[in-house]
Amino acid sequence: MSTRLLLQTLRWQRVRLAIVVLAGIGWGLLIPVIYGAFSDVMRDLADSGAFPRELMSFGSGSLFTLPGAITLGLQHPLAIAMLGIFAVGASATAVAGERARGTLEVLLARPISRLALYFSILVALLLTVLVVLVAILGGMVGGSAIQGLTDELDLGQLPLVVLNGFGVWAAFTTFGLAASITFDRPGPAIGLSLGYLMINYFLEILGSLWADAAWTQDYSLLHHFDAGAILSGDAVPLDLVIVFVAAIVPVIYALIVFPRRDLAAPA
Amino acid sequence: MEGTPSTTAIDTRALTKHYGSVRALSELTLEVRSGEIFGFLGPNGAGKSTTIRTLLGFLHPTSGSARVLGRDVVADSVEIRRLTGYLPGGIALYDSLTGEQVLDYLVEMQGREPHRRAELCERLELPASVLKRKVRDYSRGMRQKIGVVQALQHDPELAILDEPTEGLDPLMQQAFYRILDDLRREGRTVFFSSHVLSEVERLCDRVAIIRSGRLMAVHDVSELLARRRRRVTLRWRGAAPDLTSLPGLVDVQVDGNRIIGTLSGEVAGFVRAIASPNLEDLTIEPASLEEAFLEYYATDEVPA
Repeated sequence: MSTRLLLQTLRWQRVRLAIVVLAGIGWGLLIPVIYGAFSDVMRDLADSGAFPRELMSFGSGSLFTLPGAITLGLQHPLAIAMLGIFAVGASATAVAGERARGTLEVLLARPISRLALYFSILVALLLTVLVVLVAILGGMVGGSAIQGLTDELDLGQLPLVVLNGFGVWAAFTTFGLAASITFDRPGPAIGLSLGYLMINYFLEILGSLWADAAWTQDYSLLHHFDAGAILSGDAVPLDLVIVFVAAIVPVIYALIVFPRRDLAAPA
Repeated sequence: MEGTPSTTAIDTRALTKHYGSVRALSELTLEVRSGEIFGFLGPNGAGKSTTIRTLLGFLHPTSGSARVLGRDVVADSVEIRRLTGYLPGGIALYDSLTGEQVLDYLVEMQGREPHRRAELCERLELPASVLKRKVRDYSRGMRQKIGVVQALQHDPELAILDEPTEGLDPLMQQAFYRILDDLRREGRTVFFSSHVLSEVERLCDRVAIIRSGRLMAVHDVSELLARRRRRVTLRWRGAAPDLTSLPGLVDVQVDGNRIIGTLSGEVAGFVRAIASPNLEDLTIEPASLEEAFLEYYATDEVPA
């Protein structure tokens, strides 16, 4: 691995990362506030039967409990977008973008192996994803503390939440980077990575809104990161196994394919 | 100079590269000696860049082998790139960085000291004020200058340059030629591809001509220039004599007192043969490598 390349990759992401981290903290702070303001209303509405309970949930989350609200906050399109900027956008363009611009061959003209290049970029991207995730979760915990709600959370489980969340988003990151080393142009790599995320998201949301399709959630990586359940002391160890296997498979693919790829002159 | 001393800088044996059914390179066998400036000529799509990219490990040979500075291009490509400097054709740089940041970044990645940078920047007229500007604000020529500096700043044992003068103005081209002259004097090896025949003629010790992925010829430049045909024009007082039977003179056209022909033999014998008090004017057009080069491409036939 090249420390210089890792640092340079982080440097290229720093402005975007700073903005997203601020947004993530803001979003995290907001979740307990929303929960505090609307949970009773939502619960009354659900109990009255005027509104189907399923439609008052979002993915595996809901506003009925603080842990549920945290899950909802992490599965909300805003959080998905903030994490997806790096896990999908930055990873899918990392190699294919350099290749299309022609800078990859300037870089690979240095004494760096393709695997070293791959791991340097991968570690840098995983760090950015981790920082964003911690920012969002930090905001949520901070917001809960400000609202005086921390007794509703088992904060001792927080490292497990970070680990599980990191596993899920690492899976999207490694998939995006695998797509990036596969294509000569960023378009197909972004399309494939975004499609992978969208399918996972669709399966998770579909199952939560339609009881008959609840089984589809098991096929979504997002379903295997239920922060609320972990913070309620109901962690499912298999979730960790599933997300880390999903993260490692694209790495194995990249290790096999990238060193063997022919890098013809950019068009 | 780092690396194992070797008399051969580049050695390819039946190097072949196919992309599916497309034969980009067919059984290229080539030897570039240490310390020479070697020109690699060919039209677009001839296989020049494919050869270079294979030498640097960007492409994997379909068959055959190649060694650069004594190292195998497949097994030791990282070490080869440590010892070489590479200028890609139509180089792309990081637009968001300044010229100086690009050079710093690339030399750090190279893992060697930029011993030649100051000298190269001075000779290519890249003052500090220019290097402090973002690459996105650079003209095509300035990018190319940065490309030349990044390829040579770490004083590589072998420089592989793909169309190095592309985008440089004539003054900078001359400055670049002088840099290569100095590299030759210092014993460095330069392998460069070009369409610009005059610069190959000016710089190279030897030249290889490649076409449709096949090596057509390898020559000393001086030998190639001596072999090429010359266009001769003679003007006579009175009627022109019959020179059609003169050895070495072909394509003879007579236009009144003027004779135009192509001389393929040696000049001295020709001049002796035509010497006459009635010869009013004689022009032998300066030979260019281009004519010699075009002779190789005049036929559609590619050697098997």
